[in-house]
Amino acid sequence: MKSKLNAYAVSVIFCLNVLIVFLLIFEQQLVIPQWVQPIGRMHPILLHFPIALLILAAGMEFFRFKSENAATSFYQDFTSGLFLSGILLSGITVLMGLILSLEDGYDGDALLFHKWFGVSTVFLSSLLFKIRDFAWYKEIIAKSGSVALALILIVAGHFGSVLTHGDNFVLEPITTPVLVPLEQAKVYDHVIQPILQEKCVSCHNDQKLKGSLKLTDSLSILKGGKTGKLFIAGKPNLSLLLERIHLPSSEKKHMPPSGKPQLTEEESRLLFLWIKDNASFSKKVTDLAQNDSLRVLAASRFKPTEIEDEEFDFAAADDKTIKKLNTFYRLVAPVSQGSPALAVSFFSKNGFDSKSLDELTAIKDQIVSLRLSRMPVKDTDLNKISQFESLQNLDLNFTDITGSGLKELSGLKSLKSLSLSGTKVNLAQVKPIVSLKSLEELTIWNTSFSEKDIQELKKLNKKIKILTGYKDDGNSPIQLTQPLLNNSSRVFKDQTKIELTHPRQDVSIRYTLDGTEPDSLTSPIFNNNLIIKSNSTIKAKAYKKGWLSSGVSTFGFLKTSIKPDRIKIMFESDQYHKAMGANSLIDGQLGDFDTNNSNWLGYQGNNLEVLLEFNTVRIIQNIALNTLISPNGFDNRFPYGYSFPPTSIQVFAGTDKDNLKLIGTMNPVMPNKTSIQEIKSIYTTFKPQSVSYIKIIAKPLKKLPEWHPTKGKPALLMVDEILIN
Amino acid sequence: MQKDFLEHGLNSNRRRFLSRLSLGLGSAALGSLLVPDLFSGDSSDSGLAPGIPHFAPKAKRVIYLFQNGAPSQLELFDYKPRLREMMGQDLPSSIRGNQRLTGMTANQTAFPMVGSFANFQQHGESRNWISDLLPYTSKVVDDICVIRSLHTEAINHDPALTFFQTGAQQGNRPSMGSWLSYGLGSENKNLPSFTVLLSRGKGNSQGVYSKLWSSGFLESIHQGVQFSSGDDPVLYLKDPDGMNKYERRKFLDQVSQLNQLSYEQFGDPEISTKIQQYEMAYRMQTAVPEIMDLSKEPDDIIKLYGTDAMTPGTFAANCLLARKLSENGVRFVQLYHQGWDHHGNLPNEIASQAKDVDQASAALITDLKQRGLLDETLVIWGGEFGRTNYSQGKWTADNYGRDHHPRCFSIWMAGGGIKPGISYGETDEFGYNVVKDPVHVHDFQATILNRLGLNHEKLIYKHLGRRYRLTDVSGKVINDILV
Repeated sequence: MKSKLNAYAVSVIFCLNVLIVFLLIFEQQLVIPQWVQPIGRMHPILLHFPIALLILAAGMEFFRFKSENAATSFYQDFTSGLFLSGILLSGITVLMGLILSLEDGYDGDALLFHKWFGVSTVFLSSLLFKIRDFAWYKEIIAKSGSVALALILIVAGHFGSVLTHGDNFVLEPITTPVLVPLEQAKVYDHVIQPILQEKCVSCHNDQKLKGSLKLTDSLSILKGGKTGKLFIAGKPNLSLLLERIHLPSSEKKHMPPSGKPQLTEEESRLLFLWIKDNASFSKKVTDLAQNDSLRVLAASRFKPTEIEDEEFDFAAADDKTIKKLNTFYRLVAPVSQGSPALAVSFFSKNGFDSKSLDELTAIKDQIVSLRLSRMPVKDTDLNKISQFESLQNLDLNFTDITGSGLKELSGLKSLKSLSLSGTKVNLAQVKPIVSLKSLEELTIWNTSFSEKDIQELKKLNKKIKILTGYKDDGNSPIQLTQPLLNNSSRVFKDQTKIELTHPRQDVSIRYTLDGTEPDSLTSPIFNNNLIIKSNSTIKAKAYKKGWLSSGVSTFGFLKTSIKPDRIKIMFESDQYHKAMGANSLIDGQLGDFDTNNSNWLGYQGNNLEVLLEFNTVRIIQNIALNTLISPNGFDNRFPYGYSFPPTSIQVFAGTDKDNLKLIGTMNPVMPNKTSIQEIKSIYTTFKPQSVSYIKIIAKPLKKLPEWHPTKGKPALLMVDEILIN
Repeated sequence: MQKDFLEHGLNSNRRRFLSRLSLGLGSAALGSLLVPDLFSGDSSDSGLAPGIPHFAPKAKRVIYLFQNGAPSQLELFDYKPRLREMMGQDLPSSIRGNQRLTGMTANQTAFPMVGSFANFQQHGESRNWISDLLPYTSKVVDDICVIRSLHTEAINHDPALTFFQTGAQQGNRPSMGSWLSYGLGSENKNLPSFTVLLSRGKGNSQGVYSKLWSSGFLESIHQGVQFSSGDDPVLYLKDPDGMNKYERRKFLDQVSQLNQLSYEQFGDPEISTKIQQYEMAYRMQTAVPEIMDLSKEPDDIIKLYGTDAMTPGTFAANCLLARKLSENGVRFVQLYHQGWDHHGNLPNEIASQAKDVDQASAALITDLKQRGLLDETLVIWGGEFGRTNYSQGKWTADNYGRDHHPRCFSIWMAGGGIKPGISYGETDEFGYNVVKDPVHVHDFQATILNRLGLNHEKLIYKHLGRRYRLTDVSGKVINDILV
């Protein structure tokens, strides 16, 4: 039974070999009927079996003559069985493969190699099987035969995989393509040629001049092929190259031939745009306009212009060390993720002492940037800095160095930028540093360097950029701001010391108390010793050499010698001007023209009616309401253009709360159309009275006068303080 | 945050413990395959430790001079002589296209083009066109890069401003300063890494509000801290009356212990943030007064920045403060200057606004440069959108207004790895559309992050199951303006 089966198998193998030879010879003449095609297409499924079986068979054949194997009949039978089934299947596989190869789209070197190695596998294995039982078949033949079979099989398999998966399928993920940075990229060399290389050159090269066309170099491309020139520069629509690419894939002339890797849409678009752009062989990608389609498409193929992190030849410092060196006042951080280079900055004088730099010795090789601006760095510290050999940027602005230690730094061969603004360094001290070839930038604002010095420095180092910054030449003085008042209140009881200040130092403030504008010659200089005892208006101006004098500031001081112990208001003020309630009227805080602040009480319609109470009997002789008067319409800055004085003020007083007498009346003068905005104290005077209660009734104007833009409407009475003397 | 809460609860759960045990090594190994950095450790075990740039940065800090209200590019940076020639003529609808208009001009029957009342000159070696309204900026023109082709998506202030600051129009996302604080960490641990300074000019203003410097879903340690003028620059920083330094320290130690206990119990990460913030506030008590004190700045620095620098709360004083903050390692100093919303009376208002900011903006550049700091500090000047080339409402040659215009506007950037003395992008002769090198707000943001060593596609924070970026899902670095 078994030998019968064997015999069948051997004859089938023989037939298969004959068939294969037949197919190989008449390959060109054969037309494969359509129904056979599926058989051909099963080639990729079946092929794995013979590979496994034959490799195993070859392996066993290799050790066949080893004594223990030679004696085992199972080993012998099994090997023979493996061979038989392997050859059978490989024969069928090859037949299928040959049928498949007759279909459209299989061509090229890989196919050729695959075909012949595949066929050889069948022939060689058949031959081996045929001769392996002859007497002269010795160990040496078995070994060399099986090795040869395995090799041929592997090569055949390899080319098969190239056909289906393409070249370099296995290693592709780990081979990094060389990307050209965008700035250097040329349109032809780095965009067009790679496309041709990938999709066309396998058939249009020196060896395989299909259609007499070669696409390997610019000359051959310009020459074209059998059918003519490839393209007309600038006219992609008339160009043969694109015509062939865009033919339907069923057409025989469609390129690349069907079955071959096709051009992607982007690739054919790139070819189109390149020809449209006159098919230049030398143009750089960056020569194209920023929004040119060719550039936009091409740009994605290049390395993006990302900052290339500088490579350093030192190792990274220990993370723990770095962490330890970070304090609230000192930052030690890698320049970027994964970079061994460190940047160190100091931020507070209090956190800096001479040890601060010593501690950095642990990372001396890694420091590339050191910021010591405003730290009390001494000349002796520069010696410590000189051991940071990788240092590129050093900021010594406003440090205490005098320059004598600068020469220590001349060993810093990587130093690129040095900042010495606001230090006492001089020309001779800086020279050795400037001579450093690496130095590109020197900042020396606010130092003693003259224009001549700078020229001299520039001679030492041609590429150096010297930053000197702004220096006041005195030709364009600017104006000082007005003096400011520091007093917490402008209302005083007996006397007050006036406190004028200015945000600049060494400014002299001159003032007047008589209402005239201060001048720089006759007006007294304010010296922090000015005391006033009665209502006063101080006008002040600031002066300083090299500056324009300031504008005038005006501050009114009001005396109120008697302060009530309690205050009550009879009617609520209007909703927009409530200040801090009734107390605002006796709190010593005055309002200004910005009525949004919380010092003004406003009355419109209602009377201002106030009751003041004293714990002990007081003698009074006048009472004043400090009011805002702003009668003239609306204006962006002063929207309260309907603030008028009251039409009348009545003062009642006495020692009995329920029996107050009218002791004084005042009818203020009404402003007119030309009146300016002012803050004014309106006094009501009377004979000195002993009082423990005072009641004030002030009536706001009921109707704005005819000339007012909102005539007929009620006016606003604005009061910020009541003064009692 | 929500996630942290949940996880804390699960940390002490038995089932979780057992399932962890069983998955144990397998999931860890798998995890390391999926997330390659899984075992590389957290770069910051405390929120205050420095973050590390993705690649070597050009700029270490940013000072953003935000011109709130949208200054008109046509009066300041984008010279369009054609508009003067065509004064009063209706803007061709082919140019206007389908641009959405604001309610303020949508009903106008005509769109009369108006040219700039201000003249332009070319300046510096770069021969850049700058308006006569900016005489000081003209002098530093070789240090700045003017981008004339910015465009945005929003047409109203709040969404546009929010878009610029957070990368989304709707708010709730972290501000740019917060992203930088998150990505780079703080440089000086005695100051917040993101500070905000406000000033206001006389022109028509639009509001700024604290949501613009919110840290959104990032830890609140990255929140912008507002420094105001006056006695109390940072609110609640001063010790209350009667409390001395020693008592304050004792108090903080006690509170910190309590907070630590409650952190262990609840695991709310905001509690540990709070502990750190108390500690930083304590150190800020020394650092802030030193910085806010401008009286020690030499006279010539004040002269450089102009008279206003002596008055706290002005743009000039804020610029000077910004330099001091930046010099002291504050990563992001955000200024807002209000008053640029010139729908009417534009010539008068813009002249006064320009005067407010021109000298100090230029001074900031000079001042950083003379300290060797401009190389590592990115300075940005600009508003949230542009203004229309046609007049809003009635016009005369010297009085007109301009409505909001998102399609093109100009900003400038300087220092920090930006090419100096160049201009980038072009608009058409009407100043209505970008014709060359458009820069979207996300491109602009991507470029800023790039200069700071951050890849905008990798600066990510996962929140509510989604990964967020400042540039959302777009943004291209503008390579042409990089050094």
